[in-house]
Amino acid sequence: MHEVSPALHTAEVVHWIALVVMAIVYTMRIRWLLSFNLGKDKSAPGNPSQSNKQRGARYSLFNVAMPWSMESTRRPKGFIFYLSFVIFHLGVCAGITLAFVSTIAPDFLRVPVVGWTLMALIIGALLVSLYRIGRRLLRPLMRLISTPDDYFSLLMLTVWFAIGAATQAYLMGIWGVTNEIFQIAYLYLTSFFLLYVPFSKISHYLYYPFTRTYIGRALGQRGGYPVVRG
Amino acid sequence: MMEEQLAKKLNRQVVGSLVGCVHCGMCDESCHYVLAFPDDHKMTPSYKADQVRKLFKANHDWTGSVFPWWVGADQVPLSDDDLETLKDIAFGTCTNCRRCTLSCPMGVDTATLNRVMRGLLTHVGVMPEGVRVVSKDQWELGNQMGVLKEDYIDTIEWMSEELEEDLGHNEAAIPIEKKGSKIMYCINPREVKYDPRTIKEAALIFHTAGEDWTMPEEGWDNTNFGLFSGDDGLGGACAKREYEKARELGVDKIVISECGHGFRSTRFEGVNWAGESEPVPMESSVMTMLNYIKEGKIKVDPTKNPERMTFHDSCNNARSGGFFEEPRELLRLVSMDFQEMFPNRAENYCCTGGGGAMSMSEYTPKRLKSAKVKADQIRATGAKTVVTSCHNCVDGLNDLIKHYELGCEVKQLVNLVANALVLDEAVKPVEEAKPGEIAVTKVAAEEPLAGRKILVVDDEEDVRTFLTMVFEDAGAEVITATDGDEAVAMARQHQPDLISLDLSMPGKDGVETFVELRKTAETQEIPVCVVTGHPEFRQVIYDRPVVPPEGYLGKPVDEDKLVAYAHHIIEHREEKAN
Repeated sequence: MHEVSPALHTAEVVHWIALVVMAIVYTMRIRWLLSFNLGKDKSAPGNPSQSNKQRGARYSLFNVAMPWSMESTRRPKGFIFYLSFVIFHLGVCAGITLAFVSTIAPDFLRVPVVGWTLMALIIGALLVSLYRIGRRLLRPLMRLISTPDDYFSLLMLTVWFAIGAATQAYLMGIWGVTNEIFQIAYLYLTSFFLLYVPFSKISHYLYYPFTRTYIGRALGQRGGYPVVRG
Repeated sequence: MMEEQLAKKLNRQVVGSLVGCVHCGMCDESCHYVLAFPDDHKMTPSYKADQVRKLFKANHDWTGSVFPWWVGADQVPLSDDDLETLKDIAFGTCTNCRRCTLSCPMGVDTATLNRVMRGLLTHVGVMPEGVRVVSKDQWELGNQMGVLKEDYIDTIEWMSEELEEDLGHNEAAIPIEKKGSKIMYCINPREVKYDPRTIKEAALIFHTAGEDWTMPEEGWDNTNFGLFSGDDGLGGACAKREYEKARELGVDKIVISECGHGFRSTRFEGVNWAGESEPVPMESSVMTMLNYIKEGKIKVDPTKNPERMTFHDSCNNARSGGFFEEPRELLRLVSMDFQEMFPNRAENYCCTGGGGAMSMSEYTPKRLKSAKVKADQIRATGAKTVVTSCHNCVDGLNDLIKHYELGCEVKQLVNLVANALVLDEAVKPVEEAKPGEIAVTKVAAEEPLAGRKILVVDDEEDVRTFLTMVFEDAGAEVITATDGDEAVAMARQHQPDLISLDLSMPGKDGVETFVELRKTAETQEIPVCVVTGHPEFRQVIYDRPVVPPEGYLGKPVDEDKLVAYAHHIIEHREEKAN
C-alpha cells in the first residue's frame, strides 16, 4: 500500500464508492434494456450464399476497428474524424486507468514507458475534445442536434482530461507539478463522472455491444452484413 | 395517444437505436436529402430520428423523465402544427432507404426509427393524403392501387389472350387459382394498372420453362403499404392474405415479381408482422429466372439486348434484403454491355421512389431535388438503359430521368429476359418478332381502332400531332382539343369512344377537366386514358372522388403501347356495356 494524505485517502474512498454505485446503476440500465422484448426475425435467411446472423453480428461489433467498412469513416474527412475518435476513446481508457491505478499502484504510473504513454493518450484526447467542442459549437448542424447533455458531457471530459494530464505530471514528478490537489480533484471528478455517466449520453458505450449486435444480426440474417459493395 | 402507441412499438432493437445515438453527425452525408439540401440541417438523419427519440426520452428514459430539457426531450410534439411538421419530416424528407444506418458507428437504425415515427403518426390519423388513400385501398380491396378483382382478372385474361395469340396456341394461358401448382406468382398492382406487359413477359418465361404455376385470385399483391406507413397492423393483414392464399392453393413456393418493397415486405417483414413462420419458401422472380437459365429450362440470347445498361440496386432488395449479385448475374447473362454505377450494392443511393414515396405528390419537388445524386450516378455510366428489379424504382427512376433530362429508359430484368428468350419451335410466336412487340404488331396491322372516334386533348401541338398520327394510323377518326374547356365541349358534342387527356395544361388543367368530364352526364361514360409527362400527378387524379381513368400512360409514349391500350379500353368498355 502506498502512503497518502487524509484528503487523498478520502478522495480514493469516494472514488471507489462511486465505482460501486456506477456498477449497480449500470446493471439496472442493462436490466432495463433487457426488459424490452427482443424482436425476433421469423423470416428465413435472406440470401443462402451470404446470410449468417453470427457473422453479421461479429462484423458489426468489430466494425469500430474497420474504418473501411463504413462510407462515413472511409471518406478522407470521415477518416480524420475516425482517427480523432480513436485518440479520444484511447484517452478515455487511459484516464480511467490513471484513476484506478493511481489509487492502488501509483508507482506503476511512474514507469517511464507507462507514464509517458498515458500522458500522450490523455493529452491527445484533450486536444481532440477541444476540437470537438469547437466542432459542436461552430457547425450549425452540430448545434442543431446537440442537447445540453451533449455539451456538458464533452466539457466535463475535457476538464477531466486536463486535470488527468496534471495528475499524471504530478505522479511522474515532471513539469513542476508538485501539488497533490490535482490528483484529489481528478479522483473527485472521476467519481462525479462515474455517477453521471449512466444518466448521460456517455452511457453509449454500455449500449454499443447491444446496438451493434442487433443491427449485425438483423442485416446478417438478410445477407446485407458484412457490407457488400463493388 | 402517441405515447401509448410508442410503448407498443418498443423492443430491444428499437430501444437500442433510441438510446444509442451520440449526435456525432457521421450519418449526415450518407443521406441523399442532405446532399441535395446542404444548408438545411434538418435533413440530417439524426435530427429526423430525434423527433421520435424525444418522445421516447420524455416517457421512458430516466434523465428525460426528470430533466427533459437536459436531453432534448422538452419539446415533445403535441399540437396539430407539431404533428404536421413531424409528418413532413417523416414522410417528406426520408425514403427509409437505410443508407444512413450503414454509416452509423453506433449501429443506430435510423430508418427503422423513421418508420416507427410514421407508424405513430398514422395511428393518430396524421399522414399525407396519398398514404391515407393507398392504405385505405389496401385495407379494403386487398391491394394498394385500388384494383378491383374484376379488373385484375380482366387484365390477366387480356395478357393471357395476347400471349396465346402471339404463340398461336392455347397452352400458354395464364393459370388463375390453380390448386396444387408449384408456384404462386404474386405481383405489384402497378403491373395491372400501368404495365401489364410484365405479366405477359413473366407468363412467357414460365411457359417456356415448362413451369407449373398459377396466379391467385386474391392475395396477389406482393406489396404491403404497412412497410411504408409504419402500420404493423396493415402489414400483418396484407401478409396474411398472401400467405393464407398460398396455403389454400397448396403451392410449393411463392415467387415475388420484381419489386423491392414487395420482396422485403412479403419475404421478410411480413412473417414478423403476421406473427407466423413462412407458409412456404418465397423467392424473388429474379432468382427464379436465373435458376431457369442455370438449369437449362430456358435459353437466352444476350445479343437481343445489345445496348449499354447499368443496374440500380433497390434499397429494399439490397441493403435490407441481401440481394446483390443475383440480379447482376442475370443481367450479364441476358445483355451485352453492362456498366456498373458507383457507389453500388449496399452503398447505392436511393432512386427516391422510396417504396411508396410516389404516392405523396406534395413532396415531389423536394424528392426530385434529392434525386440529383442518383441522376449523377446514372449519367456517369453513359448508359441509356437503367435496369432495376423494383417497380417503385422504375417509377422513381423514370421521374428523375425526365426531370434531369438524362434521356434514358428504365427496364426490369423480366423485360430483358423475355426479350432475350430463345424459343423452341413449339413455343415460338406466330410472327417472328420480339416478345414485347408481338401483340401490338398484330393489333396494329389489323387497324384495331378502325371506326373509332378519339378525342386527343393536349396543349402542345407536337404532342397532338404525334398522337393524332398514331391513332389515325390505327384506323381511328381523331378530333383534337387544346385546353380543358374545349375538351369538355367537344366531348359533349362528338361523344368520342375514347379521350386521350393530358394533365398539365394552362387554364383548366387535366385533373379539373377529368373531374368535369366525369361529373357531366353526357360525358361521364366516355373512357379516358391519361397521357402525361408528369407521373407525379398520378395519385392526384386517382384521389379525386370520381371513377378513376380507364388508362394511364407516361410520356414519352410508346406508339404500340398506346394503340394497344386504346384498343383494350374501348373493347373493355363495350364488353361491360353489353
